[in-house]
Amino acid sequence: MTSISVAEAAPRRRGRGELGKAESRQALGFITPALAGLTVFTVVPVVLSVAMSLFDWPAWGDREFIGFGNYVDLFTSHPDFWPALRNSAVFTLLFVPLNLVVSLGLALLLGPRIRGRAAFRVLFFIPVVTPMVANVLVWRMLLQPNGLFNGVTTAAFDLTLPSFLNHPQWAMVMVVIMSVWQGMGYNMLIFCAAIEQLPESVLEAARIDGARGAQMFFRVTLPLLSPAVFFTTVMTMISSMQVFAQPQLLTGGGPGNATLPMVMFIYEQAFTFQQMGLAAAAAWVLFAVIIGLTALQFRAQRRWVHYEV
Amino acid sequence: MMNTRPLVAVVAAGAAVALAACGTPSSGGTSSDGGKFTVVWDMWASGESDVEALEAQLAIAREENPDIDIQLKHAPWDDYFTKLTTNLASGDVACVTSMNGQRLSGYHEAFLPLTEEELATAGIDPDDFAAGSFDIMSHDGTLYGIPYDVAAMLVYYNKDMFAETGTPEPEVGWTFDDFDAAAEGTTTDEHHGFGMSIGEFQWMSLPIARSGKQPVDESGALALDDPEFADAAEWYVDIADKGFGSVPPSAAETGWGEQEYQAGNVAMAIDGTWNAATYLGNEAGFDAGMVDLPSQDGEHLGLVLGSGYGISADCADKEAALKVLGSLVGEDAQNLIASSGRSYPARTSSQPLYFGSLDEGVRDEVEATFEAAFTGVQGQRSTDDWAQINEAMSPQIISVYTGDTTIGDVLGQTQQQFGE
Repeated sequence: MTSISVAEAAPRRRGRGELGKAESRQALGFITPALAGLTVFTVVPVVLSVAMSLFDWPAWGDREFIGFGNYVDLFTSHPDFWPALRNSAVFTLLFVPLNLVVSLGLALLLGPRIRGRAAFRVLFFIPVVTPMVANVLVWRMLLQPNGLFNGVTTAAFDLTLPSFLNHPQWAMVMVVIMSVWQGMGYNMLIFCAAIEQLPESVLEAARIDGARGAQMFFRVTLPLLSPAVFFTTVMTMISSMQVFAQPQLLTGGGPGNATLPMVMFIYEQAFTFQQMGLAAAAAWVLFAVIIGLTALQFRAQRRWVHYEV
Repeated sequence: MMNTRPLVAVVAAGAAVALAACGTPSSGGTSSDGGKFTVVWDMWASGESDVEALEAQLAIAREENPDIDIQLKHAPWDDYFTKLTTNLASGDVACVTSMNGQRLSGYHEAFLPLTEEELATAGIDPDDFAAGSFDIMSHDGTLYGIPYDVAAMLVYYNKDMFAETGTPEPEVGWTFDDFDAAAEGTTTDEHHGFGMSIGEFQWMSLPIARSGKQPVDESGALALDDPEFADAAEWYVDIADKGFGSVPPSAAETGWGEQEYQAGNVAMAIDGTWNAATYLGNEAGFDAGMVDLPSQDGEHLGLVLGSGYGISADCADKEAALKVLGSLVGEDAQNLIASSGRSYPARTSSQPLYFGSLDEGVRDEVEATFEAAFTGVQGQRSTDDWAQINEAMSPQIISVYTGDTTIGDVLGQTQQQFGE
């Protein structure tokens, strides 16, 4: 029996193998353009950046292999690396919750009963599509000592505000506030869409069971929205770890290094200080942090994200 | 099992193509195009009027070199050096590359050293240029480019504010005591007497003039923590502490003092001779004046600054590039930049045309100020990482103005970080 089945199976397997090979070749033809693009623009730069991080790699001139020297330098002796990591963490810790609360709040406020809600949505979305440089210039004019805020409080209450962008703590707070204002419209749209998709039958059942107000929101609506909250948390966390334009343009990373985040640190090392190797190493550290945090969030989602209704 | 070999082959082929692309630097834009060589000239330009002025110079160079196809590329000043660094990394540097004298130390390896032979090819006679101007484009005694302008730092002042407060206007040969009195006298509830800065020579010039010390010593070593220089820097920061100086509102405002001056918000600021024409014709509509840096104990140390053009070391057709260089710093091009008042040319014979471009009412004052500012100047000394030192220091100085640290600490830390 066994020998027969083997004998029968053998040609069949060979036949499928040939067909499979032909199919593989055809498939390869179809995916080659995409694969070539991926290789040239993603795989090669990624591999190159790993190699770069192991070298003393000036912008041009002689390169020298130094193993993990760049990483050691970053963690043990570089004066700006730890502050940059700290600043990115502080920004993320402040920005992500604030952004989610504000954008979810806006989405809930702009419920179906609000007249002109489409216009409001557009209004709140405008900062997202406006170029960051324009946003920052407006905020600079608001926040400077001779700007609008200080002008109003001085004239109306004889109160002089601190020089926000020069103050070691206020500068970061203002970068966060400006970023929340700029970015809230995007998450608001996602929440708006999610709210409109809420199953009416579940909400109605909850209402019949007597759920009201806060209880309704925290026990029913929020759990139903949890996939959207999870998605926005992950994406917002990743984008906030990569924050660059706001501090670069608003505070220049200062005062001192009080608002210098990781990506700005990487940019400065590479293009101002021309230490490509050190910058590549820092970029890999940032990558590891982001991947680690994202993985943690995916593991934690089992506890609080409800995909089934 | 899926056969992965073709996949690997594709990836490897893609990698080979990409690496090959990295490994063959294009020759800085020099290629044969129907018998005509192309030479790219890379320069900074911060606005439409800058670009127009460059195109006028380009037209001169093209006319003088009909057998060469000359192309102009430009980027704003702030981005120019980032772009240059990127171009260097990819081996794609323009044959004729503009360079600022203060930054040459960090880029000199990218340039072709110019000997008498190269100067002869370009048709350049060093005697035609202002004394000491070749130092601007030299590093360690080797010439890497030809200067197109020379510059010195000046004190610009708002005559209207001096008249309004009844403060005597500064005069050539004034002292630091006069400066202190002027800053105090012109400060009112409405405006500060002086615009503080965090940009390189906009802040460093006064401490250098006061102490008579450059932050890099004769041996080329960083000397930021020199006690006399540090004392003078302390004095500079005190202008803000005493309430006479307008402080930049953030570290992103690298040109604060000059901007505030140009907007008519402060009575005095430090800036280079390159902006003299801009300030004289300011849009805020005030009457602008200028004077050399104040002196301490009868002496003041000013630095001669400037920019020029060099030939990239890996330029494929150096001869064509040298000819273009010769035209760009030639008499016609120099006369053009002088008579437009855009910068003070390095070529001596073109210099009088600069003053001729100014209004008759201010011509004598500007000429006297320039003469004083360019007297007894020293070449600027710098280290290889001079640009980085300044980038690192700027946001720190902001913290000094806000009282979170002291200038002594900032200078000490920067010295420790960069001075080896």
